[in-house]
Amino acid sequence: MNIIGPDFLVFGVDDMESCRQYLTDYGLKAAGDDRFLALDGTGVIIKPKDDPSLPAALETPTMLRKTVYGVADQATLEAIATELSSDREVKRLADGSIESVDDMGFALGFQVTVRTTLSLPAEIVNAPGSSHQRAVNDIGVQKVAAPEPRSLSHIVYFVPDFARAEAFYAERLGFITTDRFTGVGPFMRPAGTTDHHTVFFIQTPPHMLGCEHFTFHMAGPTEVMHAGRNMVEKGYQSFWGPGRHLFGSNWFWYFKSPLGCNMEYDADMDLHDDQWTAREGAPGADNSQAFLFKYTEKWSPMGPPPGAKPQ
Amino acid sequence: MEELAEGEARGFDPLDEGQDSVFVVRRGGDLVAYRDICPHYGSTALPWRKDAYLDAGGKDIICSAHGARFAIDTGLCTAGPCLGESLIPVPLQLSDEGEVLADLNSNNSVGVVK
Repeated sequence: MNIIGPDFLVFGVDDMESCRQYLTDYGLKAAGDDRFLALDGTGVIIKPKDDPSLPAALETPTMLRKTVYGVADQATLEAIATELSSDREVKRLADGSIESVDDMGFALGFQVTVRTTLSLPAEIVNAPGSSHQRAVNDIGVQKVAAPEPRSLSHIVYFVPDFARAEAFYAERLGFITTDRFTGVGPFMRPAGTTDHHTVFFIQTPPHMLGCEHFTFHMAGPTEVMHAGRNMVEKGYQSFWGPGRHLFGSNWFWYFKSPLGCNMEYDADMDLHDDQWTAREGAPGADNSQAFLFKYTEKWSPMGPPPGAKPQ
Repeated sequence: MEELAEGEARGFDPLDEGQDSVFVVRRGGDLVAYRDICPHYGSTALPWRKDAYLDAGGKDIICSAHGARFAIDTGLCTAGPCLGESLIPVPLQLSDEGEVLADLNSNNSVGVVK
């Protein structure tokens, strides 16, 4: 199954105007019809929670209503339709996509991917000994920046049975487990990407079924920091970060949102192919991150001018 | 007390910690106050931005991290990760000057100022 990754996440929300403002401030571009897009055309779609075009709401408070995966071609789409039709309804929508559900009850969409191929440099760092450095006289950072999210990276679900979720995505859709937290759940990637994960499952009681967070890829750690600082300066509240995860190596910064889940920036995730052997670790703070920081306002060690009294 | 409109919530930072630690909701003419901590993790403040403690209809208190919903009058989580757990109430008193005073050292029942 040549599934590439999530193209869109569709939310049925309580407060459209706050969500519009939030998603725009996060850095996505409003593209009409309440679609908010990253540079490669992937993104978030919001609708009022009672919009009749949305798949049915779950019984839990989650506002996530559908995960739309982009696939390589029409043949893949047909293969998925055939596979899922064996034991569940598969709808064909007017836009050419198909819609069904996974074994947890989450609505899934599949479409020939809308994502464009980006050609943009990653953040390049200078280090002694490295042959890959910024060009001489290229400046590494600006005082003010508005980094643009590049691509919808991954989604994390709370599920009541991670083993069943993992089996569905592996056996029915061809996802591969890259790493796992014991007793919590797997990180998985579909066959059409080398990203460490486009989905992670967290075992929870059934009343938590829903979206824990979702994430867009940025150019590098500097963009994660800059974008996160911009969010703090606009009055949004950090949930976790900034820091750097161990499984996946991705830099992270999570913010609470009016979409009923956290929204993250990430950068520099590991890439894996079929030669990779999945690791397993105990869950907990020590295995979740290499390091974790907390934002503080700008400060300088300059102190007062010579002879002046300390403030 | 008159500064807070009906159906509104506001966070306060009484210990000057740099982040709100208590919030007050006015509904039905009453004020109720809780610690700004979601019982889910016990260390996360609720709102996605300052003072965003209520849903759009002003019906429930919500935690924006994972969507937990709490009854305004009791603080009981009615849906979401911390189902059945409760926000920590902060008793309130109304001074003769019309100021609302919060008792930060008490875990008694919800204080209501008429």
